[in-house]
Amino acid sequence: MQNERIHILLAEDDEDDRLFFSDAFEEIKIKTIIKMVNDGVELMNYLSQPDIVLPNILFLDLNMPRKTGIDCLKEIKEIDRFKDMAIAIYSTSSSEEDIEETFVKGANVYIKKPSDFSALKKILSEVITINFQYQTSGLNRDNFILNL
Amino acid sequence: MKIYIKYNLKAACEKILQEQLDRLDLKYSLIGFGEVELKEVLSSEKLQELNTKLNNYSIEIVESHKSVLVQKIKNAIIEMVYMDEKLPNSKMSFYLAEKIGHSYGYISNLFTEVTYTSIAHFIALQKNERAKQLIITNQFTFTEIAWKLNYSSVAHFSNHFKDATGITPTAFQRIMKKRLDIPKK
Amino acid sequence: MNFKNFLSSSFLIKSVFIGSLVILIFISSVSYKHTLVITDLAELVTHSYEVRIELEQLNSRLTDAESAKQGYMLSKDSIFFKAFNNAHAKVNKSFFKLNQLAANNLRQQNNLDSLYGLINFRFENLSDSFKETPDTSHQAITLKKNLRDGKKLMDKIHIQIQNMINLEIIYLHERQKKYENEISFTPIFTFLVFLFSLIVFVFSYFKINENLFILKKANKQLIITTESFKQAEEIANISSWYWDLELNLLVYSDNLYRLLGCEPQSFKPSIKKFLEFVHPSDIHLIIQGDEEVVNDNKPPTAIFRVIRKDGELRYFKSIGKVLIDKNGKKTLIGINSDVTEQYLSNVSLEERNQELERTNKELASFNHVASHDLQEPLRKIQTFISRIAEKEVLNMSETGKDYFSRIHTAVDRMRILINDLLLFSSTNKIEKIFEPTDFNVLLENVQQELAQAIEDKNAVIEAGNLPTLNVIPFQIQQLFTNLIGNSLKYSKPNVVPVVKIRSELIIAKDYPILKMDTTKKYYKISFTDNGLGFEQEYAENIFILFRRLHHVKEYPGTGIGLSICKKIVENHAGFIEAEGNLGIGSTFTVFFPA
Repeated sequence: MQNERIHILLAEDDEDDRLFFSDAFEEIKIKTIIKMVNDGVELMNYLSQPDIVLPNILFLDLNMPRKTGIDCLKEIKEIDRFKDMAIAIYSTSSSEEDIEETFVKGANVYIKKPSDFSALKKILSEVITINFQYQTSGLNRDNFILNL
Repeated sequence: MKIYIKYNLKAACEKILQEQLDRLDLKYSLIGFGEVELKEVLSSEKLQELNTKLNNYSIEIVESHKSVLVQKIKNAIIEMVYMDEKLPNSKMSFYLAEKIGHSYGYISNLFTEVTYTSIAHFIALQKNERAKQLIITNQFTFTEIAWKLNYSSVAHFSNHFKDATGITPTAFQRIMKKRLDIPKK
Repeated sequence: MNFKNFLSSSFLIKSVFIGSLVILIFISSVSYKHTLVITDLAELVTHSYEVRIELEQLNSRLTDAESAKQGYMLSKDSIFFKAFNNAHAKVNKSFFKLNQLAANNLRQQNNLDSLYGLINFRFENLSDSFKETPDTSHQAITLKKNLRDGKKLMDKIHIQIQNMINLEIIYLHERQKKYENEISFTPIFTFLVFLFSLIVFVFSYFKINENLFILKKANKQLIITTESFKQAEEIANISSWYWDLELNLLVYSDNLYRLLGCEPQSFKPSIKKFLEFVHPSDIHLIIQGDEEVVNDNKPPTAIFRVIRKDGELRYFKSIGKVLIDKNGKKTLIGINSDVTEQYLSNVSLEERNQELERTNKELASFNHVASHDLQEPLRKIQTFISRIAEKEVLNMSETGKDYFSRIHTAVDRMRILINDLLLFSSTNKIEKIFEPTDFNVLLENVQQELAQAIEDKNAVIEAGNLPTLNVIPFQIQQLFTNLIGNSLKYSKPNVVPVVKIRSELIIAKDYPILKMDTTKKYYKISFTDNGLGFEQEYAENIFILFRRLHHVKEYPGTGIGLSICKKIVENHAGFIEAEGNLGIGSTFTVFFPA
């Protein structure tokens, strides 16, 4: 882990949130490479390129124009190439229905966007760490469910 | 169709290791879990080759002393969490210190330094993982699972589970069942 | 008296009439037969007399013949011979007659036959005696013998005749007795016929009289009903009509004319005339309705506009019914009512309903706005605040720092308010799924949910056995959480909080708060704590939205929790009440319909 960088992909239409996101990762000690896309369509276009390095974890906003996070989640889960990619939902909604629905559809992590920057940092670092454990410590990724 | 399997990580890994080492005609002996003593000094190319082969099985050669030690700690924890019947009652710190041969303070700091996470956290993670596996099998009640994993009560277990995953064991079970109901393409 | 009764009474009369007729015919025919029998018997009696008379005549003629013969023998005078012949002819005549009379009587026939033999024999003897010469000596001896034999024979004949007469006498007696018997029944039969006829007449008279009375009464009732119906039509703005499709005869009630703004019966009813009053754009409704009636027997029902004679626009509602009698004759009856007022109020009600629905939808979308769109900028403000607090606040002046911390507090409070408001509106959600729920399980969930607070305060939750009711589970869980949470929150410092939960089945009328004087059953679940309590005068206020009994700084909160409780209980057609005792504790009681 100390040698390789973690690849992170964020699909988020809100500029401020992208700012918080990148700022947070800058302040976290973990070495990461962050790629950001502005919405669902852009996300799917990016992922469909064959020569990209697939992210270790994808952060997916639910409420995006054109193609919603749920739509993207469904599409991604149908493609075998993405099976090793952890998916973290990154949303404002805290409704139980939303949370359960995304988990059932195959999301691994559900993050309710916090309203505190240090909370955000803590959450993101926790997600990355646990995801790293799932990748390296023989844990079954199918069981990877985390609601923050 | 979904089947549930129980496996011995250690035996499986050893088997793979033996196969790969034999293939490269190396003389070796296996010392415990995750440690191999080679009877000769390998060239870096040969070492690289072995590493590539092992990587196919998500096994990698850890080089630094620290990494080796961390791996040892992890292995010890996993070994313990996956013990057949029930987790030992003895305190984790004593158990690890004894197993690794260093003071708990030392290994704890080392672990955090390398993995950015604490030993306690790692244990909780592994315990949770075990709990999840037990829940998915649908063979045990929460009371039985709580007992197996050394929790004092179902409530205690539920709270712990919820702290670690953000959802209750019941919700987890429900979600996993629903996932199975979605037809796979 | 209703139609059905009337029918059955006329049926009764018919059957009584037919029954009487049958009985009368029966009795009459019996009497007729009886008379015939009497006549026959009278004839038989006469017959017997005739036979007797004839026999006696025969007897006397025989005697005549005898005496003629004797006379002849004594006198030899031919006059006696003549008399003898005369008597002989008469005897034969009598015989002929007797033969006729005895034709039907075998016994007398036999008697007659043997008599005939005897008499014939005698006459031969007698005739012989006339031929003999009377002057010979031995003739006297022969004569003597002859006379003796004649006497013997005559005696036999007389005995035979007497026998026959006796037999006829017996017959006569028998027949007379029979006749008397029969004739004694005759007055009884006559009386019976008379009596029965009398009964029938009397019964018929009374029945007819009674029916007449009922008819009169019904007629009177009908007149009253018709009159009051006319009145009712006027008062209720309705009118009736009927349309004989066979005869194409249309009849309107008086009030239909009035509803159209005309004098009653001021024109001859016709469809064409009626359509002149109907609003041009609604005429098709009437025509279409009529076609449906004629073709499919579908009764016309329509709401249409009518322009009255005075030009006022009114809304009419027409309801009709097709009556088909036994012969397949169709008659349409119907009611036209002026529903202008109802129609207009209905329209406004509908409009208000739609408005309400719109408002509800807006409220639902407000929920969405509050949960997403409003939270979004708030969250960003909070995040930026946290960034400034972390990095920039050190560079601020003291005033700046103070203002900044006030902004911080205000925004945090806004966050809490929005969250609670959301929670409150979510208890209002349209989809409410009721399912049988074990309250004991819900309570366990609540205890897990509140585990931290319970542990922190070392609180004791004591619960009795709770019922299983048909409820919205997550709402009841919310209710329990809020009530128990409140007890924990407003507990006395340094006292172990104890919350006692009790449940019992009660009857509505025993609890004034239920405002029901019925024996309807309710589950009463009470939450009693040993906390701070409150003054009873606030017991009502605490359920009002945003109403608080404590300062925000002492006990943070929005004053929404108990409002949510009230709403949840009301969603379940239940009741909630609070009872406070300052410094001792409080009891919250909820009632759910059992």
